[in-house]
Formats: sequence, C-alpha cells, structure tokens
Amino acid sequence: MALFPIISNFERDFVLLLVPVDTENTMDEVTAAAAHHSVGRRVAPQPNKVIRVRRQGAKDFFPRDKRLGETDIRPMEALEFIFADA
Amino acid sequence: MALLERHEWYDIARSTNWTPKYVSEDQLFPDVMTGAQGVPVEKWEVYDEPYKVSYPEYVRIQREKDAGAYSVKAALERSRIYENADPGWRSILKAHYGAIALGEYAAMSAEARMCRFGRAPGMRNMATFGMMDENRHAQIQLYFPHEYAPKDRQFDWAHKAYHTNEWAAIAARHTFDDLFMARSATEIAVMLTFAFETGFTNMQFLGLAADAAEAGDFTFASLISSIQTDESRHAQIGGPALQVLISNGRKAEAQKLVDIAIARAWRIFCILTGPSMDYNTPLQHRKQSFKEFMQEWIVGQFERSLIDLGLDLPWYWDKMIAEFEYQHHAYQMGLWFWRPTLWWNPAAGVTPECRAWLEDKYPGWNASFGQAWDVITDNLLNGRPELTAPETLPIVCNMSQIPICAIPGDGWNVKDYPLDYEGRLYHFNSEIDRWIFEQDPKRYRDHMTLVDRFLAGKIQPPDLMGALAYMSLAPGEMGDDAHGYAWVEAFKKAPPLAAE
Repeated sequence: MALFPIISNFERDFVLLLVPVDTENTMDEVTAAAAHHSVGRRVAPQPNKVIRVRRQGAKDFFPRDKRLGETDIRPMEALEFIFADA
Repeated sequence: MALLERHEWYDIARSTNWTPKYVSEDQLFPDVMTGAQGVPVEKWEVYDEPYKVSYPEYVRIQREKDAGAYSVKAALERSRIYENADPGWRSILKAHYGAIALGEYAAMSAEARMCRFGRAPGMRNMATFGMMDENRHAQIQLYFPHEYAPKDRQFDWAHKAYHTNEWAAIAARHTFDDLFMARSATEIAVMLTFAFETGFTNMQFLGLAADAAEAGDFTFASLISSIQTDESRHAQIGGPALQVLISNGRKAEAQKLVDIAIARAWRIFCILTGPSMDYNTPLQHRKQSFKEFMQEWIVGQFERSLIDLGLDLPWYWDKMIAEFEYQHHAYQMGLWFWRPTLWWNPAAGVTPECRAWLEDKYPGWNASFGQAWDVITDNLLNGRPELTAPETLPIVCNMSQIPICAIPGDGWNVKDYPLDYEGRLYHFNSEIDRWIFEQDPKRYRDHMTLVDRFLAGKIQPPDLMGALAYMSLAPGEMGDDAHGYAWVEAFKKAPPLAAE
C-alpha cells in the first residue's frame, strides 16, 4: 500500500487534475476516484456508459480489475478517463 | 546667450562611452550582464533611439502627467463611482493592481540594468527615463488602490500579492523573473521592452483605458492613460537593439529571445485580459471580444513590427492564434471554479445573454464550454453549491505556472505535454510551453510548481484549507462569485442554452 498521485485527464472536462490514489487500487477504483472530481461537477453523467482508463494517447484501456501497482504507470503520469460502452 | 535646440547638443551629450584605464572593458561590461553577444562596442554605438527626450523635458512632462492623474482622482473621490460600479469591474481593478503594481518595481530593476550595462549610450539614456517611469508606475498603482483598501480588503493585495505563494502571483513572478529580472541588459531590451511592452502592455493599456472610460471609472482611465504614454516611449528601447543584433549576424539568437518572450507574455495576457474582456466586463460595456482584440493588435499590428525589423514570425504563430479561440475560456473556468484561491471575485459572466454573446463571438462555445457551465449552473440551481467548489488541485504547467486546460465538452482537446528530463517528469500546457523549457532546461528545471510543493509536503495540512493558508488567503480575502450567484436566477426561468 502506498499513496500514488496520478493526473486525471477526464473526457469532456477542461483541466488536468491531481488525484491521489493507492497502488492497491484496481483500475475501476482509480476511475471512481477520478470521476469524483469531474462527473457532476463539470461533466454530465452518462449513466449508460462505463468509465475506462488508458494511457494518454493509447488506444487500449487497462483491464478494469488490474491493480495500479501491477502496471508500469508512473506517479504523476497523465491518464485518460473515457466514457465507454458497458 | 540663446539656448541650443535639443537636436544641436543631444548626440554629443549622450556619447558617454569611454576607454577605461583602471579595469578592462570586459570587467566593466561583462558579457553576462550586457548580453552583447560578442558584438563589439563600436557596433553598438550606431544604436539610435527613435524617441529623444532631454531630462528637463522629461521632468516637465511627467509632472504634468502626475498632476493630471492625481487631480482626476481627487476630483472624483466623492463621486461613488466605486460603489456604483459593476462588481465585475471591481474584480478587474483588483486583479490588475495585484498582478501589475509590484511587477512595475521589478521592471524598474530591469530598466536599471539597462542603464548600467546597456552597451549603447542611447540605450542607457532611454533606460534611465524608463527606470523612473517604472518607479512612478509602481507607486501610482499602489497609491490609487490604497484608497479602496478600507472598503474592501482584497485591494490590500495590490501590495500583498507578490509577497505570497498565491498561485497567480507565482505565475507572474516566474514569468517576470524569466523575462527581465534574471536577464542581461540586451535580453531585457528585447524581451521586456520589445516583446512584452510593444507587443502586449502598450496596446493592452490603450484598451484598458478605453474600457475604464466606458465603465465610467475616469480615475482608472486617467491613471492607465498616464502609464500608457510612458510605456509607448520606453518600449522603443528594444527595436534599435534588435537592429544591432540582426545586422551583426545574431538574428537567430535575437529571434529565440523574441519567441520565448512573446509566448510567455501571451500566457499572462491570456489569463489576465481574456477573462476580463469576455467575462468580467459587463455585457453592455464590451466593445470587442478578446479574440477580436488579439487579432487586431497582435496579428494586425505587432506582426508587422516583427517583419519590419527583419525578424520572422515565431514558429508557433499559428498555434498561438488558434489558442485565441479557446484558451482564455478555459482559464476563466479555472479562475471561477478555484475562486477561493484568488484575491478577487471572478464574475461568472454566463447569464443567458452573456452566453448568446459568447456563442456569437466564438461559434461552438455552447457545445464546449457551455456544457461544462451547464453542469455548474444546474448544481447551483438545485442546491448543490458544494459541487461547484474545488476539492483537489489542478495540474499546473511547469512553464506558465497556470493550470493545464483546454476545451471541454464536444470539442474536448485537453492534453498533457510531458517531458522526462533528468528523471523528473514535467508537465506543460502546450508544445510552446515545453519548447521554452527545452531551450534552457537548467534555467527552469529546479522550480517547483504549487502541485510539486503540495506533493513534497510543503503545504500542510494537505487539503484546500492548507493550500489557502499557504497562499496567505485569509477569510475576507479569498475570492467568491462577483455577483453573489445572482446570475443563476435567470436560469430559473429558462434552462441553460446548451441543454436546449
């Protein structure tokens, strides 16, 4: 367990945000932490979609149950949070 | 005996170069301080300032300017212009004074460096007047807001801002340190007087004086006009210095200085002037949009100055012009959303009428920025104001020290421009900001942004209250919506435009 800062670049939001997460968090948990600061604040919810996370510029999303500590994501790396089909 | 005309004695009187006997030329004028770039002194002696003034003339004119501005202030002291002004206008005043007044003192130091280390006698002569100009600007822009400090504590930030770690103050200091506090005399001539002052401040002050008159604030209008006439004179120090550099084979070096300075000046003007013109200025007083202003003055006028001097347009010119469409809208959203971190109260500027104006001036605004404002407006309408308050920090650009932001909603184009340098990951708002860093990484690498400081544990407790304390924002100082959210009332009758 270790505190791990990432940068959230949330689809349809206007700004990059600092989001503190934990190496034990799954990608779904990381996504929920990022969504907390954007959805319902400046980004309208999209109830029929799920939010997935990927590296900036990547095409593929990280698996939803993968733990942050198991990836090669660096602290303060910008991650894209994208509304995707459920 | 009749006095000589100025032109009969001026050239001889300001031929103040001499041959040093006790120290070497290099010791007297070290290149690190002159920035002469190896161009020999005799080549600098052809420097010919376009605006010539003698000391008695200068004193007489400045006395008249001061007398004019202070008389208008005294005459209008009881006129209740301040009380009757729109809160958006008061916010413009607060932001302006805090961001500019002490910057003028910094500019005075920079002019002093040109007085001492300018390689051309004409440059030293003009900079002497420029130094006194900047001293006057600092003092008058501290004296005028001082009258308002008892009425509103945020005006105390005219003097306080630069002494704090408030994020916009860090951004201003970082920019001005780079452009003129930590530069040689020649670099100052190019970066401060040519790029920053000719390109931006001189024209900005013209626009601001007109806006102040339009808003009925004749005290501020006369103050700003009085400053602008000084700027238009001493801003001319840079042009002849550029001519000397270019004609002596230093065009590439000169071009780089200009390119860095314009890019840095653009960021400051974008966040200070963009929201002022398009959001804080009451709708009925807006004469042109920020984009139209930039296209007229920067693209139409300044572009010609660059070409006339024999310079090229900066490599990023088209990218910068593209930013005229959106960057200041993103900055405005950041200023408003993180409003407790400001020393002024930002106006939202998004009533239904304002939004119609924004859509007209910036087609597509409703589908992009409007969608984000819809969510904010909806939260305020439905009793969820806590969702319009910040809970985390935005990522700050390692060059501009301003949050990294761009277009939300349908045109979403927000992106990090990262750089891995010596094992540290840096983040930039654009390719332009990252390019500046790459020109001289050692110069910039050790600076810590507000986010870096937060992660390093320098902000305690590590939450919003800790951050506000770190920024020296006391209760009664931190910003809130300029109109007390009254603008939301209009939406109780009609839904936000983008939602229709």
